[in-house]
Amino acid sequence: MSQCVECGAVLSVPICCDHCGAIFDPQPGTDHFSLLGFSRAYALDEERLAQNFRRLTAKVHPDRHAQRSEEVQARATRLTADLNRAYAVLSDGVRRADYLLELTGGPTAAEERGVPGDLLAEVMEVREALEQARGVGDRRTIERLRQVNESKRRQTLDEIAALASGIETASVRQRRRLRLLLNALRYFENLTTELV
Amino acid sequence: MKRDGDIIVGVDLGTTNSLVAFADAAGPRLIAGEGGEDDVIVPSFVRFEADGRTIVGKGARDHAVEHPLETVYSIKRLMGRGTADLAEEVRRLPYRVEKLSGAEGRDVAAVAAGGRMWTPPQVSALILAELKRRAEAHFGCDVTKAVITVPAHFDDAQRQATRDAGVIAGLEVVRIVNEPTAAALAYGLDRSASATIAVYDFGGGTFDISLLRVEGGVFEVLAVDGDTHLGGDDLDRTLIDLFSREIREQSGHDIDSPVIRQQLRSLAEAVKVRLSEEDRTSVEIAVGGAFTYRRQVTKAELEALIAPFVDRTLEACRRALKAAKRSASEVAEVVLVGGSTRVPLVRRAVGELFGRRPYTALNPEHVVALGAAVQASILAGRRQDLLLLDVTPLSLGIETLGGAVGKLIGANTRVPCKAVETFTTFQDGQTAVKINVLQGERELAADCRSLGMFELRGIPPMPAGIPKVEVTFLIDANGILNVSAREVRSGAEASIQIVPSHGLTREEVRRMQHEAIEHAREDMSAHHLIDVRATVEFDLNKAERMIREHGVLLAPADRASLSEAAAALRALARESSDARLINEHREAFNRRLIPLAEKALTAALKT
Ligand SMILES: [Zn+2]
Repeated sequence: MSQCVECGAVLSVPICCDHCGAIFDPQPGTDHFSLLGFSRAYALDEERLAQNFRRLTAKVHPDRHAQRSEEVQARATRLTADLNRAYAVLSDGVRRADYLLELTGGPTAAEERGVPGDLLAEVMEVREALEQARGVGDRRTIERLRQVNESKRRQTLDEIAALASGIETASVRQRRRLRLLLNALRYFENLTTELV
Repeated sequence: MKRDGDIIVGVDLGTTNSLVAFADAAGPRLIAGEGGEDDVIVPSFVRFEADGRTIVGKGARDHAVEHPLETVYSIKRLMGRGTADLAEEVRRLPYRVEKLSGAEGRDVAAVAAGGRMWTPPQVSALILAELKRRAEAHFGCDVTKAVITVPAHFDDAQRQATRDAGVIAGLEVVRIVNEPTAAALAYGLDRSASATIAVYDFGGGTFDISLLRVEGGVFEVLAVDGDTHLGGDDLDRTLIDLFSREIREQSGHDIDSPVIRQQLRSLAEAVKVRLSEEDRTSVEIAVGGAFTYRRQVTKAELEALIAPFVDRTLEACRRALKAAKRSASEVAEVVLVGGSTRVPLVRRAVGELFGRRPYTALNPEHVVALGAAVQASILAGRRQDLLLLDVTPLSLGIETLGGAVGKLIGANTRVPCKAVETFTTFQDGQTAVKINVLQGERELAADCRSLGMFELRGIPPMPAGIPKVEVTFLIDANGILNVSAREVRSGAEASIQIVPSHGLTREEVRRMQHEAIEHAREDMSAHHLIDVRATVEFDLNKAERMIREHGVLLAPADRASLSEAAAALRALARESSDARLINEHREAFNRRLIPLAEKALTAALKT
């Protein structure tokens, strides 16, 4: 653990001093997890995440430093923006999995744009069935399609969580599978908005 | 005047009314004017006199009908807007709105009044200056810092314009705060229980809905929605349109004139207020010629007219609930803010949507200023137990190839927030790149609002596609965008030249600030002239009474010359505009009066 350059107290988090209230830009390479006091892992205590976020925000927020120099105020704004970003990513399971995958070497969304093999064909089938059902006003079929889509979306989320939880030891094939599933979510979500 | 850096006032710069407040250890309080404790509202009206004087507040509002072309109101609706945005609006305003000249490549609306052009920030600055004056009179020292509120849905240009208004008025705007958030702060000040609350803020010109989570002194905005062009003005307008249509039909004349417009506006507002209490009311207006328009208006009629506007607010509420991932039943309290929430239909509709009676214990017209004062005390470091965490109301993006929008930051993202984007060049040796920055939820650049063209300069000359210019878009706690850029390979800071689409340049704001100081000085001398003339009149009346009653004590010649001197002073006070000269002559005249005063006193003692 490093020390506060202002008062010498030992720092429990890298961006602010509990003792004197000084705030610091994080070391280069500080990731969202360490910024919020977590180790790099998919499973995390969401309650503790929210608590840490609020506690740190209360320390670094620009409103707390409005009487300090412009330099400190700008730093407070930057740090709070970093915290907001980190919290938005980590508090959302999918974004957390995506971030973790990128952080540990990818593939990133730009490197791998594909989706699981049979997905596109399935989506086309659902769309055709939906059009037919709409044509004859078949509400029951639309509702069934919606339920199937929802259960597939949930399955995908579960598999994303399982793969992300084992990211440290995942094989190249598993990492690619995780990216394909993350890419697939968009299709399920689009269908969710169509299937009403 | 002494300075006190600790004083940060909270200002509600409203469409219809403006207020200033301050929070000390005892809590937030409104600062009153000379009219006593209840004189807390400064109507957001400014009259521009031909002699260059400006009259702000009640004096301008109460005589708006007599001075329709010179009286500017609802200036907030013009802030950060161009004439193209306001075409519809401008037709209905009695005063003149034109495109600011000399603003090349921009469309900035400005008001033509009192023989010159006034940009909306300059008009707003006059209102702010009046509030500043009140605060200075209250504290007996300079007040140079303020927290100013804006509708949550204000975009970057509107927020910038508000900050510019502060600068022009000689105020450092320590923070721009969203009105509903400020209201929530005033509401939740002494509440510790954790709850989700809604703030329904329906003002004179804007509508906002904010959903917040309040817990342990932290006020966390979950989502905002609203409409910066929907307010009490629109409700009044339904009546104005109805009355003018009927007057036209019944009188057979097109009676549109600035005077009639202003009369109808006052009348419509009065009818709306009366129908909040009563079921029916009658209106009467002498239109000119022999024709007088008379009519009964019922509450049901008014409600049918305004229902579409109320529905629009409810739609925004539903969108906000969806964005906050909350159901209406999860909202523990609905706080009403803004004068338009006094309308019974509004209260009923909001109550139905949320399934509970709205909270109305706070004065909806005071609560925003009080909350702004609390936020000011947080910023002054006096309230460490409270914290506001707000969001940006609109998505931020950049125009990409083919006129599409590349989204950088989504609506309802917590602020401050930032996004980093890398740009490159398309031609060998290219040293500048232009970026069109947009705000809005639509997918095409043309359907979003352009904040302006950001031109990155100083890129080291390299073959096309080689430079990597990393641009950081940072929305600060004011909801205002800050852009910085760096060329990654060379490490060179690229400079950014910003041409705001609907705003003022820094140089313009600076110039206007100097002008405002000049103007205040002239205004003060104008006020001074009025004061001196009043004093002359007072002294002359006193002197003439003395000459009448005790003139016999003087030799007839002395008496005549004294009367002549009085007449001369009166003529000078009327004709000269040199306050100092008039005052010198007044003092000289009073010295000449001393012998008579002494004789009168002696005579009085003898009897
Ligand atoms: Zn320290």
